[in-house]
Order: sequence, then structure tokens, then C-alpha cells
Amino acid sequence: MTDIICPLCGKPNPPDLDECKYCQAPLKTAGFFALSDQEGEESSFLPPSGESGAVGDQSVQAESASPFEEGVPDWLKQTEADFLEGTEAKPEQGTPDELSMQIESLLNQPSVPEDTGKPVIDDDWLASLLAEAGGGSSAAVIPPEEPLEGLAEDDVAGKTQPFVEERTKVEGLLPPDQEEKPDWLTGLEAASTIKLAGGMSPSEPIDKSSSIGEPEVAKGPSQADLPEWVGQVESEENPPGTNESETPIAPAELPSWLEALRPEDTVSPTRPVEDLSAADVVTVGPLVGLRGVISAHPSAIRARKPPTYSIKLRVTDEQRARVEMMEALLADEQKPKPLPSQPIFNSRNIFRLVIAAVLIIPIAWMIVTGSQKTSTPQPGSIPGVVDFTQQVQALPAGTPVLLAFDYEAGFSGEMNLAISALINQLMIKNSYLTLVTTTPAGPALAESIIKTSTGLDGLPTAYSNYTNLGYIPGGTMGLLGLATSPKAVLPFSLDQVDVWAIPPLNTVSTINDFSAVVVMTNDPDIARSWIEQVGPVLRVDGTPLLMITSSQAEPLIRPYVEAIPSQVQGLVTGLAGGLAYGRSVGIMQQDGVWDAFSISMTTSALIIIVGSIIGVVRNMPTSDKKKEG
Amino acid sequence: MLERISQMADPIGAIIGFVLTIMVLSHIIGDNILFRLAISMFIGVASGYAAVLILYNVLLYQVLVPIFQVFGSGKADSLLTYTTHVLPAVILGIWMLTKASPRLSRWGTPVLAFLTGVGAATVIAGAVRGTIFPQIGASINLLNLQTGPAEINKLAGWFINGLVILVGTVTTLIYFQFGIKRQEEGVPVQRSVILEYLSAVGQGFIVITLGVLFAGVYIATLTALIDRVRFLWDIVIFYF
Repeated sequence: MTDIICPLCGKPNPPDLDECKYCQAPLKTAGFFALSDQEGEESSFLPPSGESGAVGDQSVQAESASPFEEGVPDWLKQTEADFLEGTEAKPEQGTPDELSMQIESLLNQPSVPEDTGKPVIDDDWLASLLAEAGGGSSAAVIPPEEPLEGLAEDDVAGKTQPFVEERTKVEGLLPPDQEEKPDWLTGLEAASTIKLAGGMSPSEPIDKSSSIGEPEVAKGPSQADLPEWVGQVESEENPPGTNESETPIAPAELPSWLEALRPEDTVSPTRPVEDLSAADVVTVGPLVGLRGVISAHPSAIRARKPPTYSIKLRVTDEQRARVEMMEALLADEQKPKPLPSQPIFNSRNIFRLVIAAVLIIPIAWMIVTGSQKTSTPQPGSIPGVVDFTQQVQALPAGTPVLLAFDYEAGFSGEMNLAISALINQLMIKNSYLTLVTTTPAGPALAESIIKTSTGLDGLPTAYSNYTNLGYIPGGTMGLLGLATSPKAVLPFSLDQVDVWAIPPLNTVSTINDFSAVVVMTNDPDIARSWIEQVGPVLRVDGTPLLMITSSQAEPLIRPYVEAIPSQVQGLVTGLAGGLAYGRSVGIMQQDGVWDAFSISMTTSALIIIVGSIIGVVRNMPTSDKKKEG
Repeated sequence: MLERISQMADPIGAIIGFVLTIMVLSHIIGDNILFRLAISMFIGVASGYAAVLILYNVLLYQVLVPIFQVFGSGKADSLLTYTTHVLPAVILGIWMLTKASPRLSRWGTPVLAFLTGVGAATVIAGAVRGTIFPQIGASINLLNLQTGPAEINKLAGWFINGLVILVGTVTTLIYFQFGIKRQEEGVPVQRSVILEYLSAVGQGFIVITLGVLFAGVYIATLTALIDRVRFLWDIVIFYF
């Protein structure tokens, strides 16, 4: 199918249109027909071979335009001339060789048409041909225009090219300098419709007689069929000097620096197209409709909850079994395990029973029999007893004496012997007994010991010259308060009597007003508190501080007794001290206790010695093995 | 009152004491329910007795009875004594009760601080006045001839005794001497050979002291056993 090329915009239009559908320019008067594949071959006035097709088209179009030239307005003519003139610069962009190479590379058809299988035509051949035909055939001047064959083949292949472009290619082949041309070629050029060095006017007549030269080659064969009147009319209408006045455009001379910047390698303008058919189409945002791009919608970058991955471990059966075993062990650790039941008569209990029997049987035997074979200790052999006795005997009769019952009931068997003897002596002196204590069990013990001490050795069955002030709160601070102001610390007795208002305590304002202070304790810390808090106050006036203690407190209290000056003026310790003190005051209450104590001490010593020997003997083989190892 | 209660409780108390003594002595054959029952009873009775004693002896006779007597007698002197001696303790005691409540616990901190500070000051002052200075003076006079015996035959014993005490005191203090200056970094600290020997002597004195303490405890325990055996025998003789 043939399209009409708009002379104004250069775009093809269907042949049935009178005006360009793009620019509304008239096509019938100035439009060019674009040849299709079939039309190029079927055209009656075009040469059958493609070697000069382009030029033939050009001449045909020039001839076809002539009849309508009169109907073309002036402005359109000017526009057309400008258009054609502007397109003449395009051949400067490349050489014919480059174009041919490009076309060949595109078509990949190195074949040569049948008509082009002729040997290369040189000037001699052309001269002879011109001489024979009188310039009627233009095919002889084709030799350097081999690319034209390719171009013709391109046209034959169906590539519809604008007419102007094909024409410029032909013009590019022309030598720019006409002075070097031979005379015959110059004369022929003057009669030709194609100017070698200048532009071409579409209205330029085609002179058949002067068609020798390269432009004539393009229209050579076709002009042979043209009637003569066509050439005459064109020659009359277009004088030959009109086109010669146009100067050719000189090729631009690029500066050296620009030439240096020109890239040498030809870079493909386009990249391989990526297949985006499977890509997602953007549905929202400013890039809606695009495919294969990153969406700018906030949802694309919105923070979302991270995916949840399974934390289930892949364990083997063996590992699972070990885990279950570990869990079972941990579960068993939290369960209280009952103590293993031991038989009553095991070796440990038997050993314990043996030790108890060894100790208890002699003691019980001495108690039951009431043995008194062992002599009681002498007062002089027990340090502090003599001093204690002297201090008690030195007490004035009827004076108040402060007694502190600060021992536990469990030590009563050890201490009661000495305490009973002391209470007996104080009762004999009719001393006013003021009972205090810093332990909760003290008041009951004091009351009990007073009761048990009465009625001994001719003493009255009831002794009322005493008061029980009870418990001293505050511990060490209470003792300090008692030393400075006993009335403020203990204002009333356990019988709700204000003893500080009646004789003999009405004369007591400080602890120094007592004739003596006797502390009975089994705890060395309590004894030290009395010494530290009350002792300094007592030493101001020389009031004696006496103590009856347990055997376990003696080592820690003895330094206070033997100090110079002594901080404790008298000390009776333990069972031995109590017996010694009782003996010093004439009270003998042994009842087999001392014999039991003596034999139990002897037995204990034997047990310790035997046990040590057995232990050494049993450990000797082990030590030898260790040394050998 | 306590005397009447004691008289009424004597026979019953004796029997209870006998049974409890047997229960405690049953520990000879090992831990058993009788021993644990006796221990539990002792702890409960002791705690109850202490609570009754404090209520009876402290709150009643040292706080409430004095104020009743003050208002009953109408004496200004008694009121002044009560206000200056008892009332501060009562206020501090009530203030101390705020420690029982977690919400008000911090309000009782000043009272606790006052109590702790006064207690520490009392103990330290008493230790300085009653133990440290007197014992230093006693150690100085160990070998003072003016304080020695007048008899010649006792003079040697007195001198040896004083010398042993002096050596024991000095060597024991040397044993607890840890303030040695480090000469070089990384080199183990070691005292001089003389100090090491003296320290070993002090260590021997410490071992003897601990042995004596253990012997005193053992003697006290053995005496308690003898007393209990005698008590059992007395009960047997008395009732059977």
C-alpha cells in the first residue's frame, strides 16, 4: 500500500486523504508517495532492479509534482523549499561507507543483486558507456555507490524511508569540489536535475540528454521511458542557474578538544529490555500503573509484626530421653526426701548408750549410796572463795544487799549450792535482800531460792526481809540506769510496793548505797556487763562486787578477779566453789554430789584418753597408705 | 502471790519436772518424739513466761501503777518524777510501735536510731572504762614488786605466774597482728621470723584458752547431769 508523505511534517498518510492528518497540509498537490515493497516492484516506471531505485523515485516524484505545481500556494512552496534545504545537511553526518556498513550489518545480507554482479566500473568504462549511450544510462556511474544497492535492497525489503533521506544519501556521495570534475561532467551536471554540490529543487527539470554523471545514474533507466516533452517543460520552467546559486554546507570542523572528547567506542543507546511481564503493577501512589518499580505507598515500608518462627527444636530420641532424665532429676530435688530410718540399735546408738552408761551409772551409784568418800575442796584451794567469804562476813548487819539472779534454771544444780550458802549467811546477818534480774526466769528463780534457803540450820521458816524488784528491762542500758538511779529503773516491787519509800531502801539513791552487789550468772557476757556498767560506779565508794558463776564463765571472769586492783572482789565458781564456800561458812550439803562429780570427771578423762588412743590406732593404717601413695 | 503459787505447784511441778527430765534424757537413744516434745514445751513455756513477765513487771508496775499512784496521791513531786523518767520512755515506746506497720515503718526509724546509738555508746563506754583500761593497768602491775606477795616462798610462784600471763598476753596480741606493709607488688606478705615464732606461742595460748573454755562447759554440763540424776532419785525416794 502506498502512503503519501506529507511535505510539511514528513509523516506518512493514507492515500485517500487530501490533507495531512497531522498538520492539515495539502497532500495532493505537494505530497510524496512512499513506496511499499510491492509497489516498488510493480511500479511501471521504476527500474526493475534496485540499483537506482532511490534516484528513480526521486525523479518520478519530481515529475509527478510538476503537474500540480501551479496549484501549490507560495507559502507552501517556501515551506517545502526550506524543508528540503534543511535536510541537505544530513548527509554530512556520515560517509557512504559507514552507511553501507550499517545497512549491511542490519540486513546481514552481503549478497549482491544480479545486476550488481558486474565488474567495477571505472572512469574509462563510464566514458565509453557515455559515449555509446549519450548519457542515457546512469547505471555505469554507480561503482562507488555500492551502498546504494544496499539502500535499494532496503527499500525493496519494505522499509519505507522518507524520500528526503534517500536523496541526501545520494548527495553525500557527491564530491564537494566541482572544480576537479572533468568538463564533460560539469556540462552534464548543469543539465541534470540533481546538483552535486548544491541543493536540489524538486521542480528542477530532468534533462535526458545531460544525464551523465552520478545523479543521472539514479534516474538513468527511467528517463529512457519518459517522453521528451516532460524534459522540455521542466527546463523551461526551471532555469538551470537557480540551483547553482545555492552554496553547499561545509562540514563542521570540530575543535581538537572536542574531537578528543568524542567517545571512540560506539555504545548501544539502549540496554537489553528486562522482562517485566511478571512484575507487579503499582496500584497506589504516584507510580500507579507502572510495572516493576518499587511502590512508594506507605504500606510498602510500614512496620509490621515480624513473622513468628517456630522455636521447636529438632531433637533426637536420645536427646529427648536425656532431657526427660534431667527434668526428673530436677523434680526430685524439690521433693523432700525422708531421712533414712536407722535402726535403734545401730553402732552409733550403741556407742552413745555405752558412753551414757559409763557416765550415768557411776553418778547414780554415788547419788543412791550418798557417798561422801571424797573430801570436799578446801576454800583456800579455790581462788576467790576466801575473798568472797571475807567480803560477805564484812557486810554490816541489816544493810541492804543487791542480789542479781541472772542465771538459767538449768545451771541451778551447779550454782544453787553456793547461792544457798550465801543466802544463809545474809539471812544470818539479817541483810535486806533486794532481788533483781536481767533474765526473764530470774524472778522465779530468786523467789524459789529464797524459799528453799529458809529453815536451814536454825533459820526462821519464813524470811520477809527482802524484796523482789523483778526484771530490769533494757539489758546493758538498764544496768547503767540501775547503777545511777535504781529507783527510776525499778520503782516498784513485784508485790506492788514502793520499796524506795520505806526503810531500808528509802536511804538508797544510787547503787553505791547498797552494802554489796552480788551477781549470780552463768553467762560471761552478762557478768562482763555488770563489771563494765556497774563496777566503775561501785569502785567510787568501794562497794564490793561479788560473783557466783558457772564453771563455763569462770575463765572469762577470772582476769577481773585477779587484776590489780581487782574489779571483782570475790568469786565462787561452779560446784567446787560452792562446796568450798559452804565449807568455809560451815554448811556441808554434799549428799554424794561431790563424789558423783569426782567419779564422773575421772570417767570422762578416761573416755577421752581411750577414745584418743583408739582414734590414733584406727587412723594409723590410713596415714601409712597415704604416705605410700 | 508467787510464793503461794510456788507452794501449790510444788507437788505437781515435781512430777512434771520428773517426766520432762526423763523425756529429755531419752535423747540418749537418739532423736525421738519425746525429746522433741519436751523441747517444744520448754520453748513455748519460756516464751509465754517472758511475755507475762514483761506485761506484769514492766508495763504494769513500771508504767501504769506509777501513774495511778501519781494521780491518786496528787503529789507534784511524783508527777515531776514520772514526767521526767517514765513519760519519755512511754512516748518512745509507743513511737516504736510504728515499726509494726509497713506503711508507717519509716516513722519509727528515729526511735530505732536513738536506741541503737545510745546502746552502742553505752557498750563502748562501759568496755573502755570497765575492761580495757583496768586490764591494761592489771597487766602493767603483773610484775610490780609492790603488788607482790610478802612471803619469800611465794615470790617465785608469783613471778612465774606474772611472767606467763605477760608472755601469753603479748604473744596473743602478736598473733592477731595483721598490719604488715607490703614491700613489693606480687610478693606474698610474710612477717619476720621472730614474729612468726612469737605468733606460734600466742597461738598455743589461744588453744589452751579454748580448751579451758570447753572444759568449763563440760564441767557445767556434767554438773547439770548430776543434779538431774539426784533430782530423779529424790522424786523416787519421795513418792515411792
